[in-house]
Amino acid sequence: MTRFLRQTWIVMAKDLRSELRTKEALNASLSFALVILLLFSFAFNPTSDLTREISGGLLWLVFAFAGALILNRSFARELPNDCLDALIASPVSGAALFTGKALASYVLLAAIEAVCLPVFGVFYNVRWTQQPLWLALVLLLASWGIAVVGTVFSALTVNMRLRELMLPMLVYPMLIPCLMAAMQLTTPILAGEPVQGDLMAWVRLLIGFDIIFTALAVVLIDTVLVG
Amino acid sequence: MSEKILYALGGVAAILLGRNLLVMLTGLPDEAFQGAIFRIIFFHVPAAFTCFLCFFASLVLGITYLKTKNLRYDSMAVSVTEVGLAFGAANLISGMIWARIIWGIWWTWDWRLTSMLICWLLYAGYLVLRSAIEEPTERARLSSVMLIFSFSVVPFVFFSIKWFRTQHPQPVLYGEGKMDSAYRAMLYGNWLPLLMLAFVLISVRYLQERRQRELDAMRRAVHSL
Amino acid sequence: MNDAAARNFEYLAYGLIAVWAILAIYVLTLVSRERKIQRQIESLQRMLEDRQGK
Repeated sequence: MTRFLRQTWIVMAKDLRSELRTKEALNASLSFALVILLLFSFAFNPTSDLTREISGGLLWLVFAFAGALILNRSFARELPNDCLDALIASPVSGAALFTGKALASYVLLAAIEAVCLPVFGVFYNVRWTQQPLWLALVLLLASWGIAVVGTVFSALTVNMRLRELMLPMLVYPMLIPCLMAAMQLTTPILAGEPVQGDLMAWVRLLIGFDIIFTALAVVLIDTVLVG
Repeated sequence: MSEKILYALGGVAAILLGRNLLVMLTGLPDEAFQGAIFRIIFFHVPAAFTCFLCFFASLVLGITYLKTKNLRYDSMAVSVTEVGLAFGAANLISGMIWARIIWGIWWTWDWRLTSMLICWLLYAGYLVLRSAIEEPTERARLSSVMLIFSFSVVPFVFFSIKWFRTQHPQPVLYGEGKMDSAYRAMLYGNWLPLLMLAFVLISVRYLQERRQRELDAMRRAVHSL
Repeated sequence: MNDAAARNFEYLAYGLIAVWAILAIYVLTLVSRERKIQRQIESLQRMLEDRQGK
């Protein structure tokens, strides 16, 4: 078990280090996220009450788009110089490789979210700090869902032509339950309401989604990578 | 199985469906609240059952492929999924036409409808995924994994009317809203020929897929001569 | 038969037609695939004959 954790840690640290040195995915997806946030302001009047009603949806669309860019790079980064083959041939288990990569994407995604939230709050006049704990919980749970599903499909599509198109096409429908729950929760949270009653069903859905897909992913990743 | 038996089976299914159509239009009284339109249920529900059955079969076939690495199961999986998608589309469209009369709108973003649409899109994604990979064993392996992931939505579609408050009618075959026995007999009576039809379509598609595979192999052999 | 009932019946017809149309379209895709396979067989045969001719 400690071996697994150490391997996971090494893969994650490697991914994050190489990403922080080049910042290619991070820069691209951050600027993309900001551009989308800007574009939404033209789609409707950003100061109206309408914003409050759709704020959760907006935010998660931005995160989902930005996430796809990060996840695209997750395995594609290993393609030059046959690094992927080297990783598969190394004594690191498939599950550890997957978990490490998913965690690395998770951290990057969390960083993007941390930057986008204040920008969103300023541009759309939303006071997003009213329920910080619930907001953090929803962000953590839903981002993990995005990271897990995205990493598996990143591995699945890595050798394909049209990789950049295939990944979002396969990942978004798969993520809909997760994104829907996150949107339904984020809107009242941003409005300052506590999560209770009917809303708890969405939290359960998020947790269930995370557990099911993490388990599926860990079981299937060896099949995806090696065959 | 020879193709003649398949076509005969298809013919029997067509005759049964024709007879059912006649009976449901002339023999069965209109439902009290919905009028004539309720008869769509005799296609809507069996199409959904057939669709889910196909998706379940494709899950089993996908897992079997991963266990055995026999490409035959991959061919079966793609045939089953395609036919499942056709029946899924029939289910969605017939439901929309029913909704236009009963709810006054074509579509509502209700859990049942939405999850069924997601499910359909995921399996359509499976077909697109297949078309993007050239190498047969890699295609079979990755698309089998995709089948396993896709199936995770199916129970969600199935139970969504129990778990959430939806506009979609509650189940008609069990529980409180059970239908009258004459209607139920017609529902099962129409499901049988639809299942036969599905079986014929799957078999034809499977034979095609197998021939296509042999052809590809032969062409490679000829090129390498 | 009043208006609502007539419309009801009309949509029932649409529904049944739609279901059959979808299945018919699927059968048509099967037929077109069959043609494609047939064409491939023919081209393969020609290719083989060419090689034997040489």
